[in-house]
Amino acid sequence: MSSSRTAQQASQQIGPMDTVGRDVPRIDAYERVTGRATYTRDVRLPGMLYARVLRSPHPHARIRSIDVSKAEALPGVRAVITHETHQLIYSSGSIAGGRQYNDAAKDITKHLRYMFDNPVRFVGQPVAAVAAVDRYIAEDALQLIEIDYEELPFVIDPEEALQPGAPPIWPEGNLALDIENQPRPSGGTSGDPEAGFAAADQVFEDRYTTAFVQDGQMEPRSALAQWEGEKLILYTPTQGISNCRHDNARDLGLDDHQIQVICKYMGGGFGDKNGSYYFDLIAAMLSKEAEAPVLLELTRKDDWLGTHGRWHTVQNLRVGVAQDGTVTAIALEGFSGMGPYLRRSGGIAGIDAYACRNVERVIYPVHTNRMVSGNFRAPSDPQGYFAIQSMMDDIAYKVDMDPVDFALKNVIRPTDEIQFTNYSLDECIMRGRELFDWESRWRPVPGSDPGPIKRGAGMAFMAFRSGVGPSSAILRVNADERYTLFVGVTDVGPGAKTTMALIAAEELGVPLSQVDVVWGDTDLCPYSVGESGSRTTTMTGYAVVQAALDLKRQIAERGMPRGDDVLIASATPNPSTEGKRRMVFGAHFVEVEADVQLGHIRIAKYVAVHESGRILNPRPAKDQIRGAALQGLGQALHEDLLYDPRNGHPLTAGYYGARHLTHLDAPEIEVTFIETDDGYGPYGAKTVGEAGIILGPAAVANAIFNTIGHRMKELPITRAKILEALA
Amino acid sequence: MEGKRENDDIPQGGDTSRSLEDSRGSDTSRKDEGGSSDLSRRGFLGGTGAALVVAGAPKLGSSEPLSGGAAEQEVQAVPRTAIRVTVNGTEHRVDVEDRWTLNEFLRDQLELTGSKIGCNRGECGACTVLVDGEPMFSCSTLAVWADGRDIQTVEGLERDGAVSPLQQAFMDFNAPQCGFCTSGQLMTASALLVNNPNPTSDEVREGLVGNLCRCSNYNAIVEAVLATAGTSGSGGAQ
Repeated sequence: MSSSRTAQQASQQIGPMDTVGRDVPRIDAYERVTGRATYTRDVRLPGMLYARVLRSPHPHARIRSIDVSKAEALPGVRAVITHETHQLIYSSGSIAGGRQYNDAAKDITKHLRYMFDNPVRFVGQPVAAVAAVDRYIAEDALQLIEIDYEELPFVIDPEEALQPGAPPIWPEGNLALDIENQPRPSGGTSGDPEAGFAAADQVFEDRYTTAFVQDGQMEPRSALAQWEGEKLILYTPTQGISNCRHDNARDLGLDDHQIQVICKYMGGGFGDKNGSYYFDLIAAMLSKEAEAPVLLELTRKDDWLGTHGRWHTVQNLRVGVAQDGTVTAIALEGFSGMGPYLRRSGGIAGIDAYACRNVERVIYPVHTNRMVSGNFRAPSDPQGYFAIQSMMDDIAYKVDMDPVDFALKNVIRPTDEIQFTNYSLDECIMRGRELFDWESRWRPVPGSDPGPIKRGAGMAFMAFRSGVGPSSAILRVNADERYTLFVGVTDVGPGAKTTMALIAAEELGVPLSQVDVVWGDTDLCPYSVGESGSRTTTMTGYAVVQAALDLKRQIAERGMPRGDDVLIASATPNPSTEGKRRMVFGAHFVEVEADVQLGHIRIAKYVAVHESGRILNPRPAKDQIRGAALQGLGQALHEDLLYDPRNGHPLTAGYYGARHLTHLDAPEIEVTFIETDDGYGPYGAKTVGEAGIILGPAAVANAIFNTIGHRMKELPITRAKILEALA
Repeated sequence: MEGKRENDDIPQGGDTSRSLEDSRGSDTSRKDEGGSSDLSRRGFLGGTGAALVVAGAPKLGSSEPLSGGAAEQEVQAVPRTAIRVTVNGTEHRVDVEDRWTLNEFLRDQLELTGSKIGCNRGECGACTVLVDGEPMFSCSTLAVWADGRDIQTVEGLERDGAVSPLQQAFMDFNAPQCGFCTSGQLMTASALLVNNPNPTSDEVREGLVGNLCRCSNYNAIVEAVLATAGTSGSGGAQ
């Protein structure tokens, strides 16, 4: 790390720099508003075939036989593949808890997922695929594939799945295997929970549930595969071209250099796309069979059921509180519905935002015959924060305290054991209270408005990791003093490409217009950690700083290049915070209106205060928070994936079914950043994109309690649930 | 949004032959299904479109040949209809397959890939184009229905190499995040500003309700449209 800056725990106010910290339109804004931005499906290759995937109509079934002869005989069909012809392991589809590029975990897991699996374990699982000269013939061919299924017993509910006698989805049972292949819950104990509960004057228990939320990015997944000899060229919408290449190479038995992954633009990330997906493998195999480029297009329904979304949870909480409102102990028993493969952790966050150290957590990631769960923007957080902060809000009323005072009494703060690179959580809460005018909007007696339109207010707060770590960047300058920055980003929406260019311009001391960016192509760009886990700005951005420092040194020693000569610098730093926690902090304050006759909830005011270190580009940063907060509102009030328990079929796939937010559902989100420089990352920048989604469900639920006097314990908080509570 | 649950085309237990496609079915396959009421969206549109053409569409003598696939000669012939359509100011006389959606015609045949397919079922608005100045979901409109019409896509918003005021505002206000819904938002907003040059924010939100943005950058999109209100040329729509 830069030795000139020392880390401090107290936050320090800062101003804009030469380029960084000033509003700059994104460098690819023109392409994005003129239709010139080339997404995967916009690429056209000569002789390209179209592919479609046949999917399981059963939640759990063994395939006795597949007859593809009629499909193959259909004129125009060029390739048909099934699990009988291609037994390819799709290793990033099911790993025991590791990261998407954790090869060790993929090596040992007992729960291998195949590109086409048998048995099939959820409705929507791929069973066969067709490539044909046009998409109509491919679709017709799917209907000619005859499959003899033996239907198996299935289970949809995660708590039921753990009961004795539940249909086993794996031989080891329905509790997911951990990274050592053991069926153990995650979690653990810190401090002394037993002593903490003994010291409590009151102990509260409650149960909260959260629903599955599809990431639902607007671009349906696609993959365009073309072979040049033994080299695969793959256009695919990924958040991480480097990890996507590595995952696919591993599963196809190739070396990394034999795959070129290209992703220039992609229509929304939101998580779990920093790696490969099975449709990459299907497109690659169809292309190999057909000896032609193949574009595999997932339909919206394919995408909805055949990818992933935020895991749904059941959370049983116990909280001990002393007479003065100090939380003395917290216990969580959680169940996370993961679908039949443990694609991601199933974690439940939120408790760490409290100072209380006497904590017991037991979290069961459970297999069911629902669709697969995975990462969605702050993967473990909104669902966890909803439960613990609803619980704490409830306790505040029960011990006769203002919820903000209760929060300020119990938030995590720096101690001798817990050090932060900087700390601002209490400042976020106090600033939010002031900006929101909490005193005038919060009702000391919940539900006390006469109605029929009642008003009330609620809040929630968070601390979320913003780590540092390895990534790479290359910078080149030529005699014309044009600087070319090579970074393996794609820009999934937050403006990563622009941010990287801003950092380079700042460190080089040149105008942004002198910096060109080469991105989105593994044959051109160095390794990048990928745009997930809030890593791009902090990790790849820091590599850009280091590459620029190196280039400046070279220029100082050798002068600017002349003629056709260039100077090149590369950097792959791997910084550390030496044991200190690097976190972003935030507090959301919400006022709602509840129509007690119709059950309708309207957001009347939404204030989001965030500390994300230094803000590099203010407008896109603000829009990250606003968009994320609105996604959080969707989770709070709308989104779900209902299953019919009788037949294991999903009922609400798609935008209408899941009731994703429209323009009319979106209130104005007021965003305030508290800016600091903790000495880490590029100029003290920390994560923005994930933080904004964490607090919506908790803050809205707390506001609804204050408004109607009923605690809503199940997401989403629909009109029907409001009316039921008021009945 | 309440009450919009739908139990749509998910295959029911026991039917092993169907995929989750929402756009399955050629004429042949529909005949095979006999009296089934479970008609696919494209099948329905295809049937209606063909009927309309038979009823009254003029047949044009000269048309541009268009490719329907890499190896057309071997596959079953598909009914085609000659249409005359103006796209971004250029007139095309073409034979289109009766089953092509307007979106397929624009993206696959004219290679105007600015309009996107987000859902292909009229839920998301990413495919929105202007038909005679009115925003339409091009995924749910047949190409043959465009006969005699004037189509404008996002590629047609620029004038003399300059972006429209609305496009400029979209850039200035960071209205695209991932950008996938942007073309649709731009087209709907362009039409809105022609019909209502000075909308309120509520009118903008109502006007754009059919255009989803999963990045949920709704605040910025509305700000960009409001910033354009009242400027000359409005949104840039014809």
